[in-house]
Amino acid sequence: MRGKPGSAVWLLQHELRMFWFNNGRRTNRRNWLAPVLVAGWLGLHGLAYFLLHDMPDVPAPVVQFVAMAATVLLVVLATFMFSSGLKASVDSLFERGDVDLLLSSPLPSRSIFTVRLGAMTLGVAIVYLALAAPIVNAGLFIGHPEWLAIYAVILAWSTIWCALAMLLTLLLVRVLGARKTRVVAQVLSAIAGAFLFLLAQAQNLLPLGTTASLQDMIAHHIAPGSIFAPDSNLWWAGRAVTGSAVHLLGLACAALALFLFTVQFTHGFFVRGLQQAVSTVRARGKPAAVVQGRFGRSLLHVVLRKEWRLIARDPHLLSQVLLQLLYLLPLGFLILRSEQHAAPGVGAGLTMLAASLTTSLTWIIVAAEDAPDLLQASPAAMRVIRRAKVAAAVLPILALAAIPLVWAVAHDAATGLLMSFTVVAATLCAALTGLWQGRPAARSSFSRRAKGNWVATVVDLVGTLGWAATGFVLIRAASPGQSAYDARWAGISLALALLTLLLAWGTRRRIG
Amino acid sequence: MTAAIALHLHDVSKHFGRPAVEHLELTVRRGELYALLGPNGAGKTTTLRMVAGLLAPDGGRIEVMGIDMATQPAAAKQTIAYLPDDPMLYDKLKPMEYLEFVAGLWGVSAKDAAPRATELLDWLDLSKHGHELTEGFSRGMKQKLALAGALIHAPQLLILDEPLTGLDAAAARQVKDLLLHHVEAGGTVILTTHILEVAERMAQRIGIIQHGRLIAEGTLDELRARTDGGTLEDVFLQLTSPA
Repeated sequence: MRGKPGSAVWLLQHELRMFWFNNGRRTNRRNWLAPVLVAGWLGLHGLAYFLLHDMPDVPAPVVQFVAMAATVLLVVLATFMFSSGLKASVDSLFERGDVDLLLSSPLPSRSIFTVRLGAMTLGVAIVYLALAAPIVNAGLFIGHPEWLAIYAVILAWSTIWCALAMLLTLLLVRVLGARKTRVVAQVLSAIAGAFLFLLAQAQNLLPLGTTASLQDMIAHHIAPGSIFAPDSNLWWAGRAVTGSAVHLLGLACAALALFLFTVQFTHGFFVRGLQQAVSTVRARGKPAAVVQGRFGRSLLHVVLRKEWRLIARDPHLLSQVLLQLLYLLPLGFLILRSEQHAAPGVGAGLTMLAASLTTSLTWIIVAAEDAPDLLQASPAAMRVIRRAKVAAAVLPILALAAIPLVWAVAHDAATGLLMSFTVVAATLCAALTGLWQGRPAARSSFSRRAKGNWVATVVDLVGTLGWAATGFVLIRAASPGQSAYDARWAGISLALALLTLLLAWGTRRRIG
Repeated sequence: MTAAIALHLHDVSKHFGRPAVEHLELTVRRGELYALLGPNGAGKTTTLRMVAGLLAPDGGRIEVMGIDMATQPAAAKQTIAYLPDDPMLYDKLKPMEYLEFVAGLWGVSAKDAAPRATELLDWLDLSKHGHELTEGFSRGMKQKLALAGALIHAPQLLILDEPLTGLDAAAARQVKDLLLHHVEAGGTVILTTHILEVAERMAQRIGIIQHGRLIAEGTLDELRARTDGGTLEDVFLQLTSPA
């Protein structure tokens, strides 16, 4: 059924179609994948029914704890919904470039923003609705229709966070401009993913013995009468999940009120032309600083400066690369705690991280060169440019890795030196693999860099694993009381790493 | 004879599955502005990319300032600058930083590059945008910055592919003035353009290429003499029309 052209329903259908084009089709999924995913999703319904059909009734005190757990889960979901909402707001208001077209049409502008925010909310909620569906639908068959409240909570929760994201976007656009707002949205979205990892690694991050005291602290704060007590209103959203009509109604009303306020605010923002005022304000505000050039440097020097400037000035790209550093934190804590039994794992992990970071930087610097024709049209020797690019990728990684490595050497020279060997070797091999196997690409396709270049991906992965395994086995072999068994495995993994490098060289292609 | 020739293409061919350029003979004299015209897909860009050393010809020979592009590419490239229709810029660099990088690629000394960069940015009205990243530049500003980059090493031969596309009247005038000044100072320019009035007013000689072959060449008067006369547009349409 299609809505009448020009109606709100028609516009909503258009928005959902745009959402499908932007998020569904772009992923280049195969034709067979959709039926497989649907079949898997239906299979999850069966599994949920099988696991839940003889579930006993939950007593009231347990329901309170379910509500608390659900609230915590909703807070985590809020991080993702908010970051997705930020990205969607920037896209739909400033990047797609059709707001002017729509506003110049006879459609009422409030309808336009209502539909746009509604479509955004649905687009963000749909993944969570699909994930919750097997459990909620199974609940219908096992006598728990109140679980349908989960759908309503997800929609209300998505509405709240998308509306807040839209409001923040408009505020940021007013202050920073649309382009920087987009970067902020992308960075926040990347941080949201890392947040969960850090949460999962809390035990490694916290000092020894803290976990027990943290549990005591939580128990103290959720005790009856305290701020986080099970009957506290802070668990309101979680109670709505458990099917409490009052709480569900309250949440839905809050979501609706925020939705309407946001539509009204967005409408006012555009009608008053605040988005257009941004460029004027910023153009006046910038001082006309005199920029002096530094000419006459060597080719190596200018290439290094250019590459590092480009990376340092791309916060989104930088955040995507540097987020991998977050994964270093648990390793770093293990090193600082000097847990001897963890040394082989730390060495392997550090090696993998260094290689992975180098792969990312090499891709950005070598494959995603913005002006390959400029380099090729110049008389500069491509050999020198390539070396400079490899250096630009490798040097920052080695500088970063030097901190934990120096610490490791100071603590245990043999272990530290073996770690240093595999980290340096893996870093160099990753850079060379990127140089030999990279294909020209745009920087904006960083997150999709592995697609369409599976040989490079496999070679890189096997090489990295080879060096990580070498690090693991060598460090373990260096420990007292180890047999020749480990040395043999070190030889095999080292040979694997070197063979993949040879393969990368043998199948190399030359770019920018 | 060679000393008077800036660019010579002898029997140059290039195929991409189908012929793009076929047995092309082209000569551009030193100190002239040569306009290479042709319909879409005629082989103009392919020709310029071969001259710039970005594409190797399948056959034939290219000499720039008497230097063979195939055997001495670095020496040949040292004398030229190439400006494609899509400017070769870095979004995250400021204008002076971009010039600093390009000067580094061509090995220009600080003594020559620093004043020249300032002069070019002033001339092209970009100095006041010196603190901005090029990602925020308009199409015209990007084109002007790319042109400044092309001129930073004072090339003898300037190769321009559609240099005036997307420029407003003021920016187009600045670019045209810069090109004429380059020619007056003894430099050579070869450019492609779909704005025939530009070729008509600026070019000393005009070459018309179709299906990868040079079908006509000469001054505007010489081309008029070969046809029923009229404007360059009339001449161009008569020479390139299928009938």
